[in-house]
Amino acid sequence: MSDHRVINSRLPRLDAPVKATGRAVFIDDMSFPNMLHAAMLQSPLPHARILKIDTSRAERLPGVKAVITSKDAGLVRYGVSPARYDETVFCHDRVRYVGDEIAAVAAVDKETAEEAVGLIKVDFEELPAVLTIEEAMAEGAPQLHAEYPRNLSAEVHQEFGNVAEALKTCDLTKTTTFKNKRQDGAFLEPPGCIAVFDLDGRLTLHSSTQSPHYVQRTLAMVLGLPVGKVRVVKPYVGGGFGIKAAVNTGELTACLLARKTGKPVKFIYSREQVFMLCRARHQFVHRMTTGVKKDGTLLALQHECYLDGGAYSSFGIATVYYAGSLLGGPYKLPNMKYDGWRVYTNKPTCGAQRGHGGVAARAAWEQQLDTIAEELGIDPIELRLKNMMQAGDVTCNDLNMSSLGMKECIEAVRNASGWASKKGKLPRGKGIGMACGFFVSGAGYPIYRSDTYHCTATVKLAEDGGAVQVYSASAEIGQGSDTAFGMIAAEALGVPLDCVRVISGDTDFGVDLGAYSSRQTLMTGHAVKEAAEEVKRQVLEALADELKVPAADMDIKEGRIVFKNGLVDYSGIRSRYIKEHRGWSDSPQEDALTFREASRIAYLAKGTIVGTGKYKPPALGGTFKGAAVGTSPAYGCSAQVAEVEVDLETGKIVIEKMTDAHDCGRAINRTSVEGQMEGSLAMGMGEALFEEVKFDDRGRVINCDLAEYKLVTALDMPPVETIIVESDEPNGPFGAKEVGEGAIMPTIPAILNAVYDATGLRIHELPLTSERVHAALKARGIKQ
Amino acid sequence: MILPKFEFHEPTSVAEACDLLARHRGKARPLAGGTDLLVNMKKKVMSPGHLVWLGRIPELSRLERSNGTLWVGAGVTVSDIAASEAVAKAVSALGQGARALGTPLIRNLATIGGNIGSARPAADLPLSLMVYGAELVLAGTSGERRMPIAEFFKGPGLTTAREDELITAIAVEVPRGYSGAGYLNLGIRKSQDCNIVNVASFLELDEKAERIRTARIALGSVGPTPLRSLKAEKLLVGAKPDERLFEQAAQAATHDCTPILDFRGSAEYRRAMVDVLTRRTLAMAMAEARSRT
Ligand SMILES: Cc1cc2nc3c(=O)[nH]c(=O)nc-3n(C[C@H](O)[C@H](O)[C@H](O)COP(=O)(O)OP(=O)(O)OC[C@H]3O[C@@H](n4cnc5c(N)ncnc54)[C@H](O)[C@@H]3O)c2cc1C
Repeated sequence: MSDHRVINSRLPRLDAPVKATGRAVFIDDMSFPNMLHAAMLQSPLPHARILKIDTSRAERLPGVKAVITSKDAGLVRYGVSPARYDETVFCHDRVRYVGDEIAAVAAVDKETAEEAVGLIKVDFEELPAVLTIEEAMAEGAPQLHAEYPRNLSAEVHQEFGNVAEALKTCDLTKTTTFKNKRQDGAFLEPPGCIAVFDLDGRLTLHSSTQSPHYVQRTLAMVLGLPVGKVRVVKPYVGGGFGIKAAVNTGELTACLLARKTGKPVKFIYSREQVFMLCRARHQFVHRMTTGVKKDGTLLALQHECYLDGGAYSSFGIATVYYAGSLLGGPYKLPNMKYDGWRVYTNKPTCGAQRGHGGVAARAAWEQQLDTIAEELGIDPIELRLKNMMQAGDVTCNDLNMSSLGMKECIEAVRNASGWASKKGKLPRGKGIGMACGFFVSGAGYPIYRSDTYHCTATVKLAEDGGAVQVYSASAEIGQGSDTAFGMIAAEALGVPLDCVRVISGDTDFGVDLGAYSSRQTLMTGHAVKEAAEEVKRQVLEALADELKVPAADMDIKEGRIVFKNGLVDYSGIRSRYIKEHRGWSDSPQEDALTFREASRIAYLAKGTIVGTGKYKPPALGGTFKGAAVGTSPAYGCSAQVAEVEVDLETGKIVIEKMTDAHDCGRAINRTSVEGQMEGSLAMGMGEALFEEVKFDDRGRVINCDLAEYKLVTALDMPPVETIIVESDEPNGPFGAKEVGEGAIMPTIPAILNAVYDATGLRIHELPLTSERVHAALKARGIKQ
Repeated sequence: MILPKFEFHEPTSVAEACDLLARHRGKARPLAGGTDLLVNMKKKVMSPGHLVWLGRIPELSRLERSNGTLWVGAGVTVSDIAASEAVAKAVSALGQGARALGTPLIRNLATIGGNIGSARPAADLPLSLMVYGAELVLAGTSGERRMPIAEFFKGPGLTTAREDELITAIAVEVPRGYSGAGYLNLGIRKSQDCNIVNVASFLELDEKAERIRTARIALGSVGPTPLRSLKAEKLLVGAKPDERLFEQAAQAATHDCTPILDFRGSAEYRRAMVDVLTRRTLAMAMAEARSRT
């Protein structure tokens, strides 16, 4: 057992009471006096030239307060990565997908705003559209962006070692092509925001976002405001999964309309609009050739990947890099060649989603590794263990595995699932499979090139003593980061969690890049820990002066002052504290000096006690082009075993059990870690079995609601056995690293491998719907 | 998505409801649980100017067995059907369909009248009612009439009810001994799904439990309305039930459907699943018939 007092426990989340009672305030619950409601006009066509926009009828509709187009918004180009700023708030000359934004209306209510949108008349000249990677890359294909020829949003060409030479020396090579499907983030809460300008021209945007900081910067840039005049505040957020990690048009629109009308403006995406906003997982087509020695030693991976990007770039440049770089580990792989192309198509824009860039690649490769293991007659677990890296190893693309509990994870799932008694021994129709994966604990570099700290934190003690306030711009989006930071502050300071209040999600509290790339626990955690330690130092120093005891001889534990060298007479402090609170009924009774008294004394001596903390990773990674993508101060890793039953007549797959081990370095809150493991697994399961955004031949999403876009339901979820592995990451606060995304990596391939075990079928296209499995069974002539 | 504007009526009797439907002929729809109608209105698939809510008409929520007939009021909720012992005992396949429908929240609101009234080819309740030979009781301004449920459906969302008519009840003659039924539905996931294929089968054996006396098979999601498979039924009637026979009947059923391709599934897959589900529901029906001798 650890000797931690707060972290590593299962303390209830700080937001549990408000969420359990329905009192947590989300953006849709908020309103302001005189608030207007916005609606957007979005393109009905996948590709067209805009000839004329006539807003006059909309403007005349009673209740309409403003109608804006690109004339008002301007043509400032923005995006996620400065290398590919390819969006403007509104289209002025061309629309590039069904849903591309053309104009917006602010009106007294949503109904009027939507009615007005229907009155805007746009003359289009329809252009031929490209809806698939093949169409977009074809000779003479219609082009989406003149600046980016051949419809290439980004391409990557990397080689580490010498793959061609290495493949020549292999005893076995295997080539497969694998395809996933475009996903939707499908968070419970659609994005939304309220923009408020005060009379001094300062903007406050309340928004359901994962990154107040990035939104603040983009708003300032696009609206031409000094960053100091833009504040972004995040209320409770109902999930994001990556999609809310960048600014969206709704946010920009609300701000523009608020500026034009002088009134607060609210915009909430509808579910259909969420599918058009998309910014979720790309469709990837991976072609991989892996070469091994007879004994299973991995020698080389040759990898090509095409991404269907949609109309703009969003996070896509990072995505196409991640799709290659995240195969560098966790196996020792001396030679790796990667060529990636992200292709523009006339569809909604894809971006980052949980497991950014790596999920389909991992699924493809881990299934291929099983094929190789089988051909070599090696147990798939043994093949993985044989090639596994160890803590301290560096991948061929310069990713440093500063801690790696991969072996422990594998052994944990092997034992807990009863692998040895099941693998190869189950009746037809039943199968077991496993896979591994790893992921960054925070991107090594911000999305814009900068020396900025990735996060800052402030810890302040209430002047009256006893209460601790943690301020940060980090984003609690449902994953439990506020609780984690409260626990880290409490642990570092030596007080119980209920002394601590966390106030986060506000750019006024500092810089924090936000909740993406599984960065906050490690990075914001460092900043909070540093700030709390600073506060502790100040309190102990004040006490040292007061008691004439060296600060080094004192400590704070569980809200009490510990004197390392025996008893110290603190009665003077106590009577002083009690005197200052005459008439109060809660005078300290403990037979120890309390933190409450100590922090009051510190305030009396020094004024408000404030500690600050900050974090940015050291320089990481190699020097080759794109070396930054994939770097991280630490890597979380996991292994999973899936047990499935396949109905050989209908093709229907039922996941009967999942065993899941994840190395999170050190669990700050064990229940939260398990929550992330189960949530990741549910998302991976959905992508494996059901989820696919479907389009008609006019580029419109067919299944743009949660009835037809099939997430896993509670009934589909199998029993999940979660096992937390703790490797004590040297670069993490209290040894902690990620769990939010790495835990999705093994899910899909574990299921694929289990389906193979059950049916003898290697399926290389997701999702594994009953129809797809049935077709594969039929093609193989398999009956019962 | 915002609901279009409409007038809301709350009649307290069937007669009053029919009057309202007649008065706003063509512009009014009965509203039961709203789990189908309000969704369609939000999607602007339809926007009736008048909604006649049936929730205040007590007689619509009766569920009772009398003189060998099970009466299910049109306003009985799907969750009540799912939990009903009378249903489980007399018409188990109806209960199976009810338990397969939607989610607990939907089942608490959704009614059997609405499930039939929506006339969706994939709906979970009509198939078992068809194979049990259920009749609908319709009330209109000019009186009451009864019709076999199969005659009610005209096409997706289309019915033979007149504009002033309501379903007030469903009457099912309780099947005799030596009979049984089974219902299965196949969707993408385990709940809250639109069926890809659903099938109900009913078998009645002779007194010696040797030969099949009556057979009814209904297929869902594979045509514009729920369909009967007369080819399969013909094969079964008079024959000795066994696995081989059920396989032949299931094969025959695939020739009695007209599935189309849509984004939920291909025609080919649907046809193949008619085969599998027909065979499986026949086996269920047989097992129940043997247990109810
Ligand atoms: C999330 C979700 C999941 C669903 N899953 C399923 C499912 O798994 N299986 C399934 O079958 N359905 C499903 N449905 C559809 C719907 O819930 C059912 O069809 C339900 O039974 C409809 O009943 P209701 O009382 O809500 O009908 P309403 O929506 O009130 O009415 C439906 C239609 O019937 C008409 N109507 C209502 N009552 C009468 C009457 N007494 N006489 C004549 N016409 C009438 C209405 O005018 C309307 O046209 C689902 C719906 C949702 C929203």
